[in-house]
Amino acid sequence: MTEAAGAWPRWLSQLQQVAGAFADPLSASHPLVILPLNIAAFWLGLKFYRRVGTPLLHPVVGGSLLVFAGLWLMDVDFPGYQRGSGLLYLLLGPSVVALAIPLKQNLAMVRRAGWPMMLGLLVGAIAAPLVAVVIAALLGGSRTVIIALTTKSVTTPVALALAQELHGIQSLAAGVVAFTGIVGAVFGPGLLRLLGIADERVMGLSLGINAHAIGTVRALEISALCAAFSALAMGLCGALTALLLPLFVG
Amino acid sequence: MARLKKFLHWLLGAALLLVFDLAGRSLGAALSLPVPGPVLGMLLLMLALMLYGRVPTGLATVSEQILRLLVLIFLPASVGVYFVRDLSGGDWLALVAAMVLGTLISFALTAALLNRLIAHRTAHGAGDGQHD
Repeated sequence: MTEAAGAWPRWLSQLQQVAGAFADPLSASHPLVILPLNIAAFWLGLKFYRRVGTPLLHPVVGGSLLVFAGLWLMDVDFPGYQRGSGLLYLLLGPSVVALAIPLKQNLAMVRRAGWPMMLGLLVGAIAAPLVAVVIAALLGGSRTVIIALTTKSVTTPVALALAQELHGIQSLAAGVVAFTGIVGAVFGPGLLRLLGIADERVMGLSLGINAHAIGTVRALEISALCAAFSALAMGLCGALTALLLPLFVG
Repeated sequence: MARLKKFLHWLLGAALLLVFDLAGRSLGAALSLPVPGPVLGMLLLMLALMLYGRVPTGLATVSEQILRLLVLIFLPASVGVYFVRDLSGGDWLALVAAMVLGTLISFALTAALLNRLIAHRTAHGAGDGQHD
């Protein structure tokens, strides 16, 4: 449950914290060190990914490993790193809101594909976390693990917002989302070939439902149509999960 | 002059994202909804865009930029996974098995279902030519 305190003051205090971190004396965990580290790691990770071109080395994998190596070399702990990255945390909310634009642009497709697609999306949005949660529960996973798995198939910014809402571990949620996306993007298309499904719309929707943004990048390699359906599924599934999940977990 | 205008449009777009983020958070807090504020903001913005009829150019530019930088924006949260210490070996096993098997199973399930639903509709020639 969110505290009843106003959203504005909380946001302002967050902004103040970010500004405060900049005013700190220069150290290894100063934003002026941490932000360039983040940007360099992201840029190198992206470059590497483009050269290799496999979802296995998605920039989130390369980038996070590079940051981790940098932190280890500079002997910075995670709280210090988080404080230094405050500016990026501030952008998480607006980046969720920005998902509305591709969603609006693809909305015409929803009308064309109609209710069967919406039904499929709804079932998919429920099945993707449910199957994983059941498997983890059977193997005796703890509550922390179960909570992290409930957001496994939604796009990271939404998963992070949900993790906060459900008092899960944000970092674990982010890791689970990245790993799930990679599994879906690497094996999904082959799996559908095995099942004899060739419809690019179905492929796109399945990638978007199960593998969010990483799946959508994979869909782009298949066709523009596939990617459009994937982006649509990702957006709608994210919204559906965010609306439904808090009702079930709590 | 044209550059200034473009910049102002961009600024307006960025401001809109921020305003809708805060509006979503405020709405969520005011009604004590369990839904994350930014997601409410996204739904509010989508509603507003549907009513407005098109996406303002500045907003389209900013959102495209921010979505391209998404991996950078959530990099700090992703890095945290290497610092997660309070999980047992059994927890990790359950987690990895659920992610690998669960994703393959739900992928196959959703695809099979969607294939049946959509192919069925297409077979009945339901391309009802609706437009936006």
